[in-house]
Amino acid sequence: MPDNGGFTVAAYIAAVVIYLCYAIYLVRGGRAKG
Amino acid sequence: MTPIEALERARRSSAVWIGVGLLLMAAVYVRALVFTPVEAVQGPAQKIFYIHVPSAWVAFLAFGILGVTSAVYLFLKDPRLDLFAASTAEVGMVFTTAVLVTGPIWGKPIWGTWWTWDARLTLTLFLWFIVLAYLVLRTAIHDPAQRARYSAVLGILGALLVPFIYVSVYLFRTMHPMPVVLRPGGPSLPGAMLATLLFSFAVFTLFFVALLWHRYALARLADVRARADAERADA
Repeated sequence: MPDNGGFTVAAYIAAVVIYLCYAIYLVRGGRAKG
Repeated sequence: MTPIEALERARRSSAVWIGVGLLLMAAVYVRALVFTPVEAVQGPAQKIFYIHVPSAWVAFLAFGILGVTSAVYLFLKDPRLDLFAASTAEVGMVFTTAVLVTGPIWGKPIWGTWWTWDARLTLTLFLWFIVLAYLVLRTAIHDPAQRARYSAVLGILGALLVPFIYVSVYLFRTMHPMPVVLRPGGPSLPGAMLATLLFSFAVFTLFFVALLWHRYALARLADVRARADAERADA
């Protein structure tokens, strides 16, 4: 079995950073111009 | 209850659901990384699939909604539809970004390259640029009716790409894997992997609805307040 777990961890961290940053941005009011 | 009070209430409720969505996403992570078997051929990198595919599903759902809402706007000219379309575009853009980031991280260990100009990858990147153009266009036009009309046309054009991206793996010679759930003959995944994927689909969809609800409430609040300010200035 290939040893590529580092890529898995990197992808999971990247995804959570994207979603978390957007969620925080939105809850803090976003740009809110429509 | 005044419209502003109702929208403030929606903003607070949706913020709570965003928090619930994030907690459930943590549960998806634990289930996928700890409790789902490792695929024998691809190894642990296959687990990227449990966040990449649900993100792609939500992105396509968002742009489908964008297309329908934009088309209905052109008939009804209701500004709320325009605000809803803009909200779906922004939230959908975030999920597409996650797709375009997680895909290459899987591609490197499995294909040996971060990126290839394959039909599905190229069209998805093209869609990302169309939605970016949609969001930039909205900041460039100040007349609300004109902005809504031009945006609706671009939104429909972007949404038309979605079914094309879905069938691109059948139409072209492509390196991208074929569908394993929504495919003729039913899902081809083992039970434990399919359960994790379906759980992830449900959580990502809930998280999308919460983000969209919140984004739309913010847009409506800004719109209602701007109209009230304009009326006060006229008086």
